Amino acid sequence: MSSRTGFRSAFRRWRADRPFWGGVLLALGGAEVLLTMKASVKVMLHAGMQGLAGYLLPTLMVLLGLLILFNPAQRLFYSITGVLVALGTWLTSNLGGFFVGLLLGVVGSCLAFGWLPDQEPRVRRRLRRDGGVAATEV
Amino acid sequence: MALSENPESGSVSEASEASETPDGPARRGRVRARRAAVMAVPATLVAGTLAVLTAEGALGVQFAISGMPFTVTATELNGTGFEQFGGLDEMAPGSPNAGDTGGQVLVVTSAIKNATLTKLCQSVDLGGTNLLITAGSGAEKVTASDLTTDSTELSGDAAFNNIEIGNDASTLTKAGVKGPIGVFSQQADTVRIANLRQTNYATTAGVFKLPGLKLRFSSTGC
Repeated sequence: MSSRTGFRSAFRRWRADRPFWGGVLLALGGAEVLLTMKASVKVMLHAGMQGLAGYLLPTLMVLLGLLILFNPAQRLFYSITGVLVALGTWLTSNLGGFFVGLLLGVVGSCLAFGWLPDQEPRVRRRLRRDGGVAATEV
Repeated sequence: MALSENPESGSVSEASEASETPDGPARRGRVRARRAAVMAVPATLVAGTLAVLTAEGALGVQFAISGMPFTVTATELNGTGFEQFGGLDEMAPGSPNAGDTGGQVLVVTSAIKNATLTKLCQSVDLGGTNLLITAGSGAEKVTASDLTTDSTELSGDAAFNNIEIGNDASTLTKAGVKGPIGVFSQQADTVRIANLRQTNYATTAGVFKLPGLKLRFSSTGC
């Protein structure tokens, strides 16, 4: 019991340190696009370089999503690359995994881009709860 | 309040959290809406532009699907450089579509160098609902280059020009795809198929142009 709550609070702190949902959504989007591809490699080799790009872009999406999770310091570069690659899958990979994977990737990249570390809790909620105390601090 | 619920568990972590922020919850990373919008707005614009350009047929998109049977219909297919031969498709290991087939399907591979399709309709059965893609119903037609399909069923009214029947699949020249050696095959300079209907397991195309593209879910297939 105590070890589980310890793990959960540790996970919550780990999650607060990084754009968690941004990275997860981007990686999931890439995985969804890959899932809709599943074309046999033999057929893809006939299509040549253009066919390879169809695999390369969703793989990059998964990698960038994981990198956002595990190296959040570079999140700006990863999220800008991520949104471009996610938009590129519209052209190369089944209309971006029939639009679902593209949507997940773009939303994830935007969340990662908009994330900032070490923010004050929402001001309005804090003011409402402990009234004048927070106001005097600020 | 967590302290009062289980006083002895995780006292270290809670003490550290409390030391970080004496007042209220811990400082933590958050998504700032305005910052996210800086990326979200242009990304939405680009996605919209891509969709519009594709629907107008100005932009080609690539397709590669396999392991899942899907139906393709078109009222007319005109192609130059046509090849056809038998083959065996392997599904990804552990694919849920394998069923009792052992993961292998006997397919007819058709390759067309340049194809024009009228009223293309493509549907995938997702169990209960169908994903339906239609295109080319207006004045502009769907065009595809280096189109390769692996089908289990193929029907339609076909007319071939300069057909050579009974070649070895490894000697094919018309569409640039070579099959396995020792397999029956045929090839033709041009092909015209009316009322085309295919059940496919895989399709790839170098470039697909889909004017009038519509993507939707429907209770009925093509």
